[in-house]
Amino acid sequence: MDRRTITLQQIAGILVLAICVSCSGNKSKTITLESEADLTGLTISCGAGNYYEHKYSARPDVTVFACATQADALQAVRQGLADVFVGDEIELTEPNRKRLGVKVAMYGEDSFEVAFGIKKGNTVLLEQFNAFLKTIPIQDIINRWTKDGPQVEDPNIGHTVSSEPLHCVVCNNLEPVSYVGEGGKWMGMDPDILTRFANYLGRPINFSFIDLGGAVTAIQTGQADFMAGNIFVTEERKTFMDFTDYYYICHPVFIVADHDSKVHVGLAERLRMNLVREDRWKLITQGLTETIKITLLSILIGTVLGIGVCSALRSRRNWVRSAIGLYCSFIQGTPTLVLLLIMFYVIFAGSGMSASIVAIITFAFSFASSAGSIFDSSISTVPVGQTEAGLSLGFTPFRTFTGIVMPQALRKGLPLYAGECVKLLQSTSIVGYIAIQDLTRASDLIRSRTFDALIPLLIITIIYFVLAWLIRKLLNLLITRK
Amino acid sequence: MISIKHLSKTFHNPDGSIVTVLKDVNCDIDKGEVISIIGPSGTGKSTLLRALNMLEPPTSGQILVDGEDITAKGYRLDVLRRRMGMVFQSFNLFEHMTVIENIIYAPIRLLGLSEADARAEAMTLLRKVGMSQKADVYPSSLSGGQKQRVAIARSLAMHPEVILFDEPTSALDPTMVGEVLSVIRQLASEGLTMLIVTHEMRFARDVSTRIFFMYDGIIYEDGSPGQIFEHPVHSVTKSFVNRIQKLVFEISDDEFDLLEMHSEMNRFCIKYNIAEKAAEAIPVADDMIQNHMASFRPLTFRLTYTELTGETALDFMVEGLTESPFAGGNVPIAVSARTKDIIQEPTARGFRIKILL
Repeated sequence: MDRRTITLQQIAGILVLAICVSCSGNKSKTITLESEADLTGLTISCGAGNYYEHKYSARPDVTVFACATQADALQAVRQGLADVFVGDEIELTEPNRKRLGVKVAMYGEDSFEVAFGIKKGNTVLLEQFNAFLKTIPIQDIINRWTKDGPQVEDPNIGHTVSSEPLHCVVCNNLEPVSYVGEGGKWMGMDPDILTRFANYLGRPINFSFIDLGGAVTAIQTGQADFMAGNIFVTEERKTFMDFTDYYYICHPVFIVADHDSKVHVGLAERLRMNLVREDRWKLITQGLTETIKITLLSILIGTVLGIGVCSALRSRRNWVRSAIGLYCSFIQGTPTLVLLLIMFYVIFAGSGMSASIVAIITFAFSFASSAGSIFDSSISTVPVGQTEAGLSLGFTPFRTFTGIVMPQALRKGLPLYAGECVKLLQSTSIVGYIAIQDLTRASDLIRSRTFDALIPLLIITIIYFVLAWLIRKLLNLLITRK
Repeated sequence: MISIKHLSKTFHNPDGSIVTVLKDVNCDIDKGEVISIIGPSGTGKSTLLRALNMLEPPTSGQILVDGEDITAKGYRLDVLRRRMGMVFQSFNLFEHMTVIENIIYAPIRLLGLSEADARAEAMTLLRKVGMSQKADVYPSSLSGGQKQRVAIARSLAMHPEVILFDEPTSALDPTMVGEVLSVIRQLASEGLTMLIVTHEMRFARDVSTRIFFMYDGIIYEDGSPGQIFEHPVHSVTKSFVNRIQKLVFEISDDEFDLLEMHSEMNRFCIKYNIAEKAAEAIPVADDMIQNHMASFRPLTFRLTYTELTGETALDFMVEGLTESPFAGGNVPIAVSARTKDIIQEPTARGFRIKILL
């Protein structure tokens, strides 16, 4: 594939994106709700895997539109993809509702206890937390985030007696429950409480954003200590995890698009909102660093492993060839995301290895199989006569290979290899599934704060494009350098 | 210098079949000999040549070079191959290097020459093979004959004691065979030891000091060119060296396609490297078919070429005829003036007129 087609593909992608966004205007159908019966015939959006998805999927008269995050589900209402968003009353402050152009249609009658999920059987931590919960002014802390209640001081994070951090997975990225605020810091009610608790124990704490399903697995495998983000205590969940004492009672709220509030923001203001405010550009640069780190290290390790795969593919021994062939077809036949989840939640679960390292290992293995096959086929394209000519001049087989065959194979294989590197760069965008904040995840975080899809996605599209272009350019320099 | 003892080579094909290409080859080769290896295809000529520098390790037997067995385990083949150059049918120039880089690549790395010395010597060699003007081009822009001349220069740059030529002209367009053969001829006259697998009979006869006729996996007959080509001991050798190439046309009526015949005759002459004969043969054939023998149908016309002697002939045959079709047996002047000799003779089946060009 030459560079021009890539450019066209990317431009086409940006255009499609822009059209999607501009078409997502408001349907001018005003929806009024009196009771749950009025939901008949409507499309309801909610966060995937949460209580509401289960509840309304069971109702044949409504359509459920489940989104990966609550923020996306809310935006679906604004974009006309769904009629009603159902979520927790606490999940959207009044100013944000205004800004987003949505309003509350009705409050539900159910009520839920909200607590933190923790690994089954971890009674020490459970008791420590429950004891701690009794000592703090919990209502003040809640009011601090939900209303302009009595001010409570910011949790003090300096006090540590142990370097063993508390790992916390957050599966809700919405103000005021839990969100990434100024300078990429986790804020909101849940992070506030947990930070106070960590401080109470004298331990540092870190937060990773992950979908609900991933969070449950992380708790079960012990990769995380706490699961936060407006977690309901349900009987079903109690079978596979424990809950702390509840600290809040939550009611459902139904939200619809508010056609009276016309929100129009200029491009400059949108850029400022997505990049400058709360130093959101730092999320992008941090994500970029993570993406580059994972991509480069995977390419480096994968290339070294790929040389091994290539020599195994060219081995004289039949069993070596079939074993490595099996490995390659397994890796190439499995979606990289599935591979990544298997590595993180099965193979390296409980090993204490960081998610980044697991990602690098996974991508390196995946890259090794494709790079190895590319090396193998490029070497095969060099006619055997070249080897014979080198040998007949008096070179050893090794020097014939390195001096004569390899330079020719490199020329043929490098464009394919560069393509594979770009493919790897693109597939690193899935690492958000194992709670790594890469470039794509950074745009998710910004998107769920600003409810603006276009700007963050456009920015990372451009960054990915430039990165891909740089990879090709660098590798091309390698061949022309000679 | 080289002594081959009971050499055999068996190939195991991927389909499970087993082919024994060399059965039992024995011979001694002395310094300065120019040996052409001839024989029908599939009789192991190239395999024998490739066994000599161990590109094709033999299944059994010994190859002694200056008394040392090169088939022994641990023998330094790279050192041996520096003394034994090879020129391939498919040239095998290094496509990613220019002509001169092809030539200096090995001497710099293996003989320790400085780049300047290697280049100077490479230019001398290129001049010798008439390729000095192309020193800085890449092989892909050269014709087959030019590539092969560069390949010969590359092999000479290592100052080998022996050069093995593996069908050096078989992949060439007929018009380019001559330029390559004349380079090899020149090397032969300089006393270099050479082994040449070739299909060019006249070249083999002219240039060699010794001929191996290979047949059925062994050296069937081994002797001087005079012995092999003029007085071969075995009938197989005799029929091989005297083989005649033929192109046959049956002319049954006047609907015969003369133009198609012309192009087939042209192709035949090019194939056997006698392109210049086509211009002579075609008018004579036309004249005979259309005028002098117009009343004789069916008529069998054959164009023949004897490789060893280079004799080209037109052969007309009319079945059932017992005497010359010409009045008084006199060949028309228009035909005899353009040909070397004409033989008229009755045969068992009819009457034949053979016109030698």
